[in-house]
Amino acid sequence: MITSSILLGITTFAYLLCALLYLSGVIFRRHTIMLWGTVTGAAALAVQMAGIILRWWESYQIGYGHAPLSNLYESLVFAAWAIMLIYLIMEHRTKQRALGVFPALFAFLAMAYASFSTGVNSKIQPLLPALKSNWLIAHVVTCFIGYAAFAVSFGISILYVTRESRRDISGSAHPLLPDLRQLDEINYQMVLFGFLWLSLGIITGSVWADLAWGTYWSWDPKETWSLITWLIYAALLHARTMKGWRGNRVAWLSIIGFGCVLFTYFGVNFLLGGLHSYANTK
Amino acid sequence: MERKGFWQGIYQKLASPKLTVVLFLVLAATSVVGTLMPQGLGEADLQRHYSQRAIWFITTFGLHDLYHTGWFRLLLLFLCANLVVCTIERLPKTLKVLRRHEEQVDPQKLAKCTLNCQFTSNLPQDETAARLISIISEEFGALRRLDGADHLAGVAEKGRWSPLMVYVVHLSVLLVLCGALIGSIFGFRGFMNVLEGEAVSEVMLEGSDRGLNLPFQVRCDKFDVSYYDNGMPREFRSDLTLIRDGKEVLKQELRVNDPLTYGGITFYQASYGAILKDAEVELTDRGSGAVRRFLAPFREWVDIPGTRNRAQIIRFEEDFRRLGPAMVLLISMAGGEPAGSWILIDKDFHGNTIENYHVKVLHATRRPFTGLQVKQDPGIWLVWLGFAAMLVGIGLTYYVSHRKLWVWAAADVGKEGTKIAIAGRTNRNEISFEQEFNRLCDRLQAEFGQAVGGSRL
Repeated sequence: MITSSILLGITTFAYLLCALLYLSGVIFRRHTIMLWGTVTGAAALAVQMAGIILRWWESYQIGYGHAPLSNLYESLVFAAWAIMLIYLIMEHRTKQRALGVFPALFAFLAMAYASFSTGVNSKIQPLLPALKSNWLIAHVVTCFIGYAAFAVSFGISILYVTRESRRDISGSAHPLLPDLRQLDEINYQMVLFGFLWLSLGIITGSVWADLAWGTYWSWDPKETWSLITWLIYAALLHARTMKGWRGNRVAWLSIIGFGCVLFTYFGVNFLLGGLHSYANTK
Repeated sequence: MERKGFWQGIYQKLASPKLTVVLFLVLAATSVVGTLMPQGLGEADLQRHYSQRAIWFITTFGLHDLYHTGWFRLLLLFLCANLVVCTIERLPKTLKVLRRHEEQVDPQKLAKCTLNCQFTSNLPQDETAARLISIISEEFGALRRLDGADHLAGVAEKGRWSPLMVYVVHLSVLLVLCGALIGSIFGFRGFMNVLEGEAVSEVMLEGSDRGLNLPFQVRCDKFDVSYYDNGMPREFRSDLTLIRDGKEVLKQELRVNDPLTYGGITFYQASYGAILKDAEVELTDRGSGAVRRFLAPFREWVDIPGTRNRAQIIRFEEDFRRLGPAMVLLISMAGGEPAGSWILIDKDFHGNTIENYHVKVLHATRRPFTGLQVKQDPGIWLVWLGFAAMLVGIGLTYYVSHRKLWVWAAADVGKEGTKIAIAGRTNRNEISFEQEFNRLCDRLQAEFGQAVGGSRL
């Protein structure tokens, strides 16, 4: 009998394999290996999709019946899925395969953390009354598409910063990696995409909070940190368009922005607490 | 004159994009402080956790209620001013650029664009022009013709209006903040506890000790909690009836995530609890061993049967110091000064003594109440409008860029064929435009023959 946990277990290792294939492709400068990375990534994405749908179905079998987006485990699984999906779409559009190392690695890390950490409960739990709303799906999906785009942008920024600092030493460009101008341009598009979805995520959360608690903004730590993240990326977009910032400085702002994303996601839950459901998973 | 210079200086500062970036980062940094420092602490909490010097610092800068302090609001005001001034400065320029349509195409200038390409076609000019126009309108869009006497020229554009979307986003931020301001001035937020079977019209306002009387009453007919089989709560439900001038005007169930609105006022299922209705008390006289039983309604003096003494229950807590439900019972001996103590309700505790009585609670009857969040917010529609505008603005900024394509073609002097030059430019998303441009060039090349020059990146 195939269960969602088997499918998601396969996904975890498929993402690891995918990251290794991309990495070997870059190291050995072989385009074919990277192509296999793409194939593995796409296959893992499909298996994971099946796993998520199966888990949804299983929750109905138990009698709880809710979308698998309700606790830390389920949000991590969805985050991994969204990162890989956004990356593969970007790969298809930019025709740049070598950028896959970081997204595949992040997807693997998210899945591994969800599966192997003792602090993450993978059981299907019923929904608290406050979470019983269609806004749950809209809010979580939009937020995590935003987070995933920022994760991809973070990977590009890391690559940019390291390549920029090594440019003077090595001199020769890597034949399979995009040049710095292209990296900067792809990064900007990714941040703008993430910014759109983060805004959507904050807005859906806000509309939902108004429906559940009668206040669309209450300076809850999670809300505030999502606003901080939004402000950092807003600063990045304005610095780039209005002040002409390019390259390294934009990459560093994106790295700081992703730090804020991580804090909004994990730090607030484990260090600050608040209204959000997986704040007290332990 | 100096005064004017001063104001002009401020205006100039407010118009600078540097200020925008600085304000974003300062707002982010101060918001971080507000999440690290617990918000809404009272005087007593501060005294318990911080030293005198720290308390002075916290209260001076309002760090325990940071988001409502004057200086945080001042930062937001600066952001608004910056946004308005930047719009006043830039919008006319953007509109001017949008209104300007070029009258001619200069092939020399085309060659200087980052994306440009030149071909020669073996076909005569008429036929080349016809094919060129059909390919471009198929691949890119309609060509606005700017032909000269001896040459074909034209411009095709997409997303001409997309630079305006930034202003939509800026307007949306102002709308949201205006909506929030209107809500905080003309609206209210509060709380009401309604006992099952009772009707209440008073709302306790948030952040003040004042109450507010609604023009109607809210009656709770029933409050109910249902549970999942693992003990987690499944649903909180209040059956409410609204009564106006003695008439029932609305009957509705209220659940979490499903508020009820009447007369511009919205009710939310927020909490629940119970108060004590009455308790059956057994007193054992520790001297004589005589046992007295009686029913004591909450907060009413009752005579202890067979004595000249009286008793009253004055307080009740569902979980007193984690020992379970408990109440305070007062006993007045022969009309004297009353003495009282906390009495544990579920446990026959040896400390359950008052005067010379041992107290045991035989049965306690509770009355459930539902806790309702109540609010009126006349500014919320502006906030929703702002949200919608923000999404439209950011969405279209991402998905639509202003892409422009120039075409020029003329007979090659002294030869049979035709010279073609094209060039392109975009305000954003260069990589995708490059691909589009390259695709167009490849198709033209296949149609007309070898490219003779250009820069396609």
